Amino acid sequence: MRGRRWEALLWLGPSLALIGGVVFYPAVALVGASLGRYSITGVYQGSVGADNYARLLQQPALPVVLVNTAVWVAVVVGITVVISLGLAQLLNEDFPGRALVRWALIVPWAASLIMTSKLFVWIYDYYFGALNALLTSLRVLPQPVDWLGEDATVMGAMIAVGVFVSLPFTTYVLLAGLASIPGDVYEAARVDGASRWATYRRLTLPLLKPALLVAVVLNAIYVFNSFPIVWTLNDRNPGFAHDTMVTYMYKIAFKSALRDVGLAAALGVVNVALILLAVLAYLRTVRWDDGDAAVSGRA
Amino acid sequence: MSRCIDDLECGSSRRWPGLDTGWLRLLAALVAVAALAVACDRGAGGGPAITVVIADYSKDHTRPFWQALAERYTKQGGPKVDLRIIDWNSIDQQVSTMIQNNQPPDVLNLNSFSSYARDGLLYPADDVLSPTTRDDFLEAFARGGQYQGKLYGLPILSSARAFFYNRDLFARAGLETPPKTWNDFVQAAKKIQALGGGVIGYALPLGPEEAQAEWAIWMWNGGGDWKTGDAWTINSEANVRTLGFLADLANRHRVTQVNPGKTNRTDGAFQLFKDGKVGMVIGFSPLAKQLDAEGKVKYGVAEMPTTLDKPVTLGVEDYLMAFKKKDNREAVKKFLDLYYQPDNITKWITAEGFLPVTKSGLERMRANSALKPYLDALPNARLAPTTDPAWDRVKLDVQQNIGLAVQPGGNSKQVLDQLQQNAVAAK
Repeated sequence: MRGRRWEALLWLGPSLALIGGVVFYPAVALVGASLGRYSITGVYQGSVGADNYARLLQQPALPVVLVNTAVWVAVVVGITVVISLGLAQLLNEDFPGRALVRWALIVPWAASLIMTSKLFVWIYDYYFGALNALLTSLRVLPQPVDWLGEDATVMGAMIAVGVFVSLPFTTYVLLAGLASIPGDVYEAARVDGASRWATYRRLTLPLLKPALLVAVVLNAIYVFNSFPIVWTLNDRNPGFAHDTMVTYMYKIAFKSALRDVGLAAALGVVNVALILLAVLAYLRTVRWDDGDAAVSGRA
Repeated sequence: MSRCIDDLECGSSRRWPGLDTGWLRLLAALVAVAALAVACDRGAGGGPAITVVIADYSKDHTRPFWQALAERYTKQGGPKVDLRIIDWNSIDQQVSTMIQNNQPPDVLNLNSFSSYARDGLLYPADDVLSPTTRDDFLEAFARGGQYQGKLYGLPILSSARAFFYNRDLFARAGLETPPKTWNDFVQAAKKIQALGGGVIGYALPLGPEEAQAEWAIWMWNGGGDWKTGDAWTINSEANVRTLGFLADLANRHRVTQVNPGKTNRTDGAFQLFKDGKVGMVIGFSPLAKQLDAEGKVKYGVAEMPTTLDKPVTLGVEDYLMAFKKKDNREAVKKFLDLYYQPDNITKWITAEGFLPVTKSGLERMRANSALKPYLDALPNARLAPTTDPAWDRVKLDVQQNIGLAVQPGGNSKQVLDQLQQNAVAAK
């Protein structure tokens, strides 16, 4: 059987090499970097143990950035899922031009995030932006708003873009979920005389649970790690008042007086741990297994 | 089963469907290509290829010039050049990564050098430049490239800031000449702002992109400085006064664009000036080039309004550095000498719209009358303290924080005190 084993290894080889090179090696390198001290030029100056982690906790901006990150992830994912539920329901209906609408929905997904973000920078612009022109001419606003400059509106402006680019993926996941619900379940509900709302709440939503879980978990990870939107829309603002963990990490490494690769790597490790914990906590509270049970039980 | 490994008949088609002769041939071809690539890397003229990292000054000129220079260098018997043009936004990150991975470039172009000199990564100029090239540098720029008395940062090009004003808006506001004093400046800004219709008196960019440059020009003309002797004096009384003056422009006189502490230079202040919305802005020769190309705004260039007897402007010097690596000294020296041939360096600096760093370049560029205001300003231009490695951190700190002082409720003294404290602690 020895040949058999070699054969398997040969077939798995490319995937293993890929996982090793793309996942395993960078993770090890990140942890390694987080234990070292680096000069501003990038020269390694020796090991400092857990010192970088201790210094990370002392950074005065950390609490603000943590809160920003929690708000950014929770609100973007929350709004995206709610809107996507509606969109998916709509696209699941048969109407003329449905194919076209389904295609159009992919556009924000297909466009580069940097390009989309730059586009929104101009849409939000105080002097030249389309949004201010629209809202002031409709008399919704008495005067223009500096959407990306005012502390009160920056996060909201970024969240809107975050939702915009997350909608396509989420909608398609939910659409796939809807498509997998067999029609006879609805027939049975109709025979039993269930109202539309009751059907949706008691049948559709529970049967969508696996798709919803996938949508929420994957989106939370994407949004947490999303760099281009926050970086591009927030690049004019001084300090760290509107940064998330990911842009904060980049600023620590290259754009702030700290310029500290070791400290940034420590934050990178913390980021991975945070997102893992958040996902595990989420899966625990919604009971992943229950979802499956509900589906098989009812269907 | 194991018998099949030796038995080609049974191995190739049934048990090892992937490992047929086609697959092997592909593998062999790949190995050959890899070997060829390694061979090419050795360079035609001898010695391993040298890596040259250049910042992207403009899409139109940077790559064509350096590409052609690299080809000439190789043709003249030098090794092959691995040329990397990197945009300003990511060059710090990419160079840092190269050094972390123990693969520093051979020649690097950047706006700072002293941290690299301090870390012992660079050749001093004497090792990699011929004496004639060295002696050709303008005195101020040669001084600006020294670390502990030795030249490491070789000036590659320079620029000088100047005061731009919109002639049409000045005429409409009844202003005849650009302001000379800060008092005149405030009055002029008020008159222009009073024209209404979204017209802005002065565009003040103190957002993170280039806040240290805007601040330095006002700071110097207010009588302050980054350092006095060897000591940082960022929070001197003069500087607190000057930052308060800028905050007043925004919040008391209201003659700036909205949120000046959160406005960047390129897509903020310059954009507004190019659109004819702004009376005054601090610009430099590339802005003039863009304005001329667009032909939309009639502008004048003048000296900075000042509180001193003689106005001061900011000179900016960018550098070339030669990294110490095994057996690369001769190759690097040859490359640098080629760039510093007067024809080559002047050709590039002219194409990019910047200013010379050599005496011979200065002579050649005097012929261009459009450059006169900047060339005149150049001898009196002051440079940032780039010779101090701490500056690399101070600059980023100023970029990230000084804007906070001109926002409503900002506290100039507090912001400067914090910057001073960090500067003293910076290593």
